[in-house]
Amino acid sequence: MLEWIQRLPVWFWIALIVHGTVLGSVAYLILLERKVASWVQDRLGPNRVGPGGLLQPLADGLKFIFKEDYRPGGVDKVLFTLAPGLMIAVIIVSIAVIPWGGTWQRTWTVQTAANVTDQNAAIASQIPYDAQVVSVVPAQQANTYAVTFAEPFQIASLNIGVLFILAILSLAVYGVVIGGWASNNKYSFLGGLRATANMISYEIPLALGVLTIVVMFGTLDLGVIVDKQAHYWAGYIPAWNVFTQPLTFLLFLVCIHAEANRAPFDLAEAEQELVGGYHTEYSSMRFALFFLGEYAGMITTSALCVALFFGGWHLPGLTGPAENPGLSTSLWVCILRAVVFFAKTIVIIFVFMWVRWSLPRFRFDQLMMLAWRGLIPVSLVLMLATAIVMYFAAPLDALFVAGQGIGGWLAFYLLIANVVITVGAMLISTILPPAPKTNRRIKVEGSRFDQTPLPAGT
Amino acid sequence: MKDSDVLVLQEPKLSLADTFYLPQVLKGLGTTMKHMLLTLAGTDRVIQYPEERRETMPVVKGGMNLQSYRGVHRLNKDEEGRVKCVACFMCSTACPAKCIHIEADASPWEDREKYPAKFDIDELRCIYCGMCEEACPVDAIELTSVYDIVGLTRQEMIFDKSKLLKIYDETVKQEPM
Repeated sequence: MLEWIQRLPVWFWIALIVHGTVLGSVAYLILLERKVASWVQDRLGPNRVGPGGLLQPLADGLKFIFKEDYRPGGVDKVLFTLAPGLMIAVIIVSIAVIPWGGTWQRTWTVQTAANVTDQNAAIASQIPYDAQVVSVVPAQQANTYAVTFAEPFQIASLNIGVLFILAILSLAVYGVVIGGWASNNKYSFLGGLRATANMISYEIPLALGVLTIVVMFGTLDLGVIVDKQAHYWAGYIPAWNVFTQPLTFLLFLVCIHAEANRAPFDLAEAEQELVGGYHTEYSSMRFALFFLGEYAGMITTSALCVALFFGGWHLPGLTGPAENPGLSTSLWVCILRAVVFFAKTIVIIFVFMWVRWSLPRFRFDQLMMLAWRGLIPVSLVLMLATAIVMYFAAPLDALFVAGQGIGGWLAFYLLIANVVITVGAMLISTILPPAPKTNRRIKVEGSRFDQTPLPAGT
Repeated sequence: MKDSDVLVLQEPKLSLADTFYLPQVLKGLGTTMKHMLLTLAGTDRVIQYPEERRETMPVVKGGMNLQSYRGVHRLNKDEEGRVKCVACFMCSTACPAKCIHIEADASPWEDREKYPAKFDIDELRCIYCGMCEEACPVDAIELTSVYDIVGLTRQEMIFDKSKLLKIYDETVKQEPM
């Protein structure tokens, strides 16, 4: 009877645990956010509920649940209800392709019936669903086999993981736009519009930054990208992409700030200008879902950042054999890798918060200028330079030819390319013609900049 | 006013580091990190008010000087425990907020003619200027360093003679006359 539970694939359990962890840690990220905010401002932050304020998230959650779920008149009821759910659903789906811990390989002893015709099918019906059989070794007894099978330690091992996460994450803006539009409130609507423009501008350098990494490794599978970073240059420098592509990392970091609608790119919810932005009209758990979506989005984008630039789960002692560093036969090693991965993610999230309480919000034209005059050209040049370096230097790199990642010299060339582009961008930015004058007065009929008299009678 | 009186300020020219956002951004992040670390180390942070109070801190570190702080009033007593006030009305005359109400009566004691039968101070009306203290010829009214007085009604905040004398008993050890 319990056999089917045993045969449940590992991704099922990971899905349960990861979603629980992510949604639970969101509450504590809000506490961390408030703590960081207060530390920056020389305060101690919430410390009254529970020891050191640790029960504050529970109190907050309780408050959200018991508040009146108010829906103003004139809203589009269906979309108003749909928007927060859409936001959180999209974020939860996108977390599926994060490679938490390489590959878990196990060996089971499997006994098949004596007179089966298809031996492989009989074996496959006794090991976990979707498991990939590595080897089948006949044992001493008849019809008994030692079956070795491997399962990726992630929810969904997609070979287009990077594309999937980019595609799904850009859907998150629909929650914001629909929420803003359905609220029947001009400030909410403006917030939604700003989020759209923000998203369109910053998706491009984000995708170009990711593409730079894809060009280096020749794969869209996040798990493979992490595996190929799991070795060392010169014996002790971890082969993480942040060391080969520091500028790309910086651009990526800026873009995921914009992607998560976080300060200094939080124009969609600029309190001083738009009351509360797209969620002005929301209250109670609906509002909490938007909150949850924002922080879960931070977790997803930070996890993507860790996978692409910080070697994912990679930490000394956790790697498998050299030809397949992601492989592990121990469940505990896999779990430890997931913990390491999550710890790195938390560090990136801390940077999010640190930045939020350090930098003031951009003006809208500055926001657009940074993307279109700064990030997009630089990331285009960066991708071109990476492609050129890879085309000429990669065939000489033994490690790359063996398909095990980036070797030391190749990494050095890529770093040189990054430094040259950084210095070049700094020099060019001084001789660029100045940006078009901001706050241009546009003639709108009836506005104070319009000199033509209004028609009689108005 | 002539044109030469007008001071035209020019926007400061941006340095190279300013035009390329990053160095200044890193400088700002450094400032906030410094504050974070100092707060976590406990060397530079706000006072946790109900637990930590300025009265208990040294004055050079932002503590309160009990001798010069002007908080709630008290009515001093003499050596025999009688109220010192002689109901001369100097304080209520000097009071700019008109918050002191005295009703004088014939003194039951030999050494003075009058004493206050009633002595009410409206602590909500008081501006804690200390003029009453200055005006008093017999040092009967004084401002103490007690500042956290609360009441549920406005009526409660009108302190009468017994309450003011009680404050004297509570504060005389810390702040002798």
